[in-house]
Amino acid sequence: MEKVLLVRYTEIHLKGLNRPYFERALVDNMKRALHEFSPRIEREHGRIYVRNIAEEHMDEAADRLTRVFGIHSLSHAVAVDKDWETVVSAAAELMEKRLEGVSSATFKVLARRSDKHYFMNSDEINRELGGRMLEKFPQLSVDVHKPEIKLSVEVRDMAYIYCDEIPGSAGMPTGTAGKATLLISGGIDSPVAGYMMAKRGLTLSAVHFYSYPYTSERARDKVVELTQLVSRYAGEVRLYLVPFTEIQMTIYEKCPEKETTVLMRRLMMRIAERFARQEGALALITGESLGQVASQTLEALVCTNDAVTLPVFRPLIGFDKDEIMDVARRIGTYETSILPYEDCCTVFVPKHPVTKPKLDDLRTSEALVDWTEMIERAVEKTELMTIK
Amino acid sequence: MIYFDNSATTPVLPKAADEAKRYMTEVYYNPAAAYSPAVKLERDVTEARAVIARAMGCDKSEVYFTSCGTESNNTALFGTLRAVHGTGRVIISAAEHPSVYEAAMELREMGWDVKLAPVLETGEVDLAALEELITPNTRLISCMQVNNELGAVNDIAAIEKLARRRAPDAAVHSDGVQGFMKYDMPSCSLYSVSGHKLHAPKGVGALYVKSGVKIKPYLIGGGQESGLRSGTVNTPGIMAFAESVRDFSQHRSEYVRQMLEVKKRLYANLSRIRDVRLNGPDMESGAPHILNVSFMGVRGEVLLNALSEKGICVSTGSACAAQKRGKNRVLNACGITGDRQDGAVRFSFSHLNTVREADTAAAIIEEQVAILRKYRRR
Repeated sequence: MEKVLLVRYTEIHLKGLNRPYFERALVDNMKRALHEFSPRIEREHGRIYVRNIAEEHMDEAADRLTRVFGIHSLSHAVAVDKDWETVVSAAAELMEKRLEGVSSATFKVLARRSDKHYFMNSDEINRELGGRMLEKFPQLSVDVHKPEIKLSVEVRDMAYIYCDEIPGSAGMPTGTAGKATLLISGGIDSPVAGYMMAKRGLTLSAVHFYSYPYTSERARDKVVELTQLVSRYAGEVRLYLVPFTEIQMTIYEKCPEKETTVLMRRLMMRIAERFARQEGALALITGESLGQVASQTLEALVCTNDAVTLPVFRPLIGFDKDEIMDVARRIGTYETSILPYEDCCTVFVPKHPVTKPKLDDLRTSEALVDWTEMIERAVEKTELMTIK
Repeated sequence: MIYFDNSATTPVLPKAADEAKRYMTEVYYNPAAAYSPAVKLERDVTEARAVIARAMGCDKSEVYFTSCGTESNNTALFGTLRAVHGTGRVIISAAEHPSVYEAAMELREMGWDVKLAPVLETGEVDLAALEELITPNTRLISCMQVNNELGAVNDIAAIEKLARRRAPDAAVHSDGVQGFMKYDMPSCSLYSVSGHKLHAPKGVGALYVKSGVKIKPYLIGGGQESGLRSGTVNTPGIMAFAESVRDFSQHRSEYVRQMLEVKKRLYANLSRIRDVRLNGPDMESGAPHILNVSFMGVRGEVLLNALSEKGICVSTGSACAAQKRGKNRVLNACGITGDRQDGAVRFSFSHLNTVREADTAAAIIEEQVAILRKYRRR
């Protein structure tokens, strides 16, 4: 009896002639996620089978796969010879484990048969196997509508038998949608934004701005940690750490105080766009949510967009803070995000930022200073880390 | 580097480090073992206990070694109350260290009637208000000797008198982690101390339990420390702790004078900066080694980061407390809120600091505060 992970994938099946491309990308991503376990991954008839993983690594492997985008769900399955009695005894063994400590439960059998030469059809398998289970386990009763246990049997090259489905992260395989650059702060929103776009198949690079020496090394470690958490889903992320103090201080010295935040955002976008182009990324991603703070009003977003030509993806634009926090908790970034360190956006903050900035005013204010050299210096001193 | 964070921890005295090393590599036995080198070692531990006891002014049978100040405080609170039948009132000051405050919150969950005695703006407990809280069923009063954030000094002996009058059964505990050696141990039932605040290594502390005070162990096992604190005795830590206490005892007035001089000098320098507010008691009534100052219009954490880059180590509050902006429980309790809390920085000294360091640091602070104030929220 062989233990395998049976993986079901999501909307890839909609992709017509591109389907093999998406499937191959998914399999590659799965291989990367599991590389230490040297799995054998096989694609067949809308399923992917992960074989050859040592028993002690099965749970860890399944856990990692729940973070690979493009997977709808997976199951710990046993693969056995199609001989009927072998199938029955393997099913009974699984059921016995599943019923440990359970005094009564409802169940149904769900058979699928791609081997059309098999001697029973799906309905017959359902009835026969159901009957055998009822004989063996008196605590079971049948409920075909809302069973507590679904005993699935898939008859293919072998018979695959399993009870539970573990939900995956859904989405599209990372890398199938191209590359974009995430502006990552130390907060709750930007890691979620990165996660959401990676879920649509994007590969990420990331840019973080810090205000050395006024922000601490812990704040920087926190961003590295957050990027690492996002990379558990998104795969490798190249993180650019940009020193931003000189630019910030100059904004404060030379430009109108109430416009400082939006000006800062414009300059951040410019620098991020440079790194994006360098990376071959075709869009920027931010964690902005409409109206959340002064720099995220519609007027402010218009001003920020104006600074760059790449499209800016804001996947959280219509989300409430609570909804963002829920996702952050689910993907495991929340606890790190709330560590209380000053970041570059909190070190220098005007007391009364403008909430409805006018683009012309901002362009005028920005033109008070020639930023070219300062941007060059920041880019030159930027540190690049590859986060896996 | 200028190290002004001695309330967080202190550098280990070389003599104490040597002693620790010797008891790790040469005299490494388990003092509970039966062979002769172990028995000799046990005698050394007894002598170390006597050194701590002499510094406390108590009998060595009243000193129990622990792993740290937190363990001493937890043992004092949970241990004495576990020895009480039924329940009753527990009073702590509102400015206690988290190892007392969080333990008290846990006691509240367990059904104890926990009250917080208010503190004055200077950080000292309000004795009149505390007295009002003492009921005949009060079982424990815990108040720190020296506040770790502000340097406020509490009159524990006066609290003990109040307790004797109004709640004869109450034990009086004092967290002496910041006060030990700088001040005499006050008259009380339990007193917690920690080695690493006094130039001993981390991982060793002690709890004084006055003879006759009923207490149950917090750690259970092999019955070490007369059954109060099981666990293999940390001989290197204890021997080093004794060494550092011996050294401090010998030089006590000189050390305290040095700290106070540095503190006064730094404050004199800093008070020349515009909009600087002293938090906690004045120079003479506060502890000699703790100075807390608010630089109005500057965020303490941002200043701390800027100073760190210049090689000056300070803190914005207890290293043991997770700090959130505006959420400093101790400063809130003292009514130090808003910009004053945001701008608060704690400087804490040891006898190793010098007046020259105070001058150098003040000059750098003045310069950094001026820079940061240019970018303050206007």
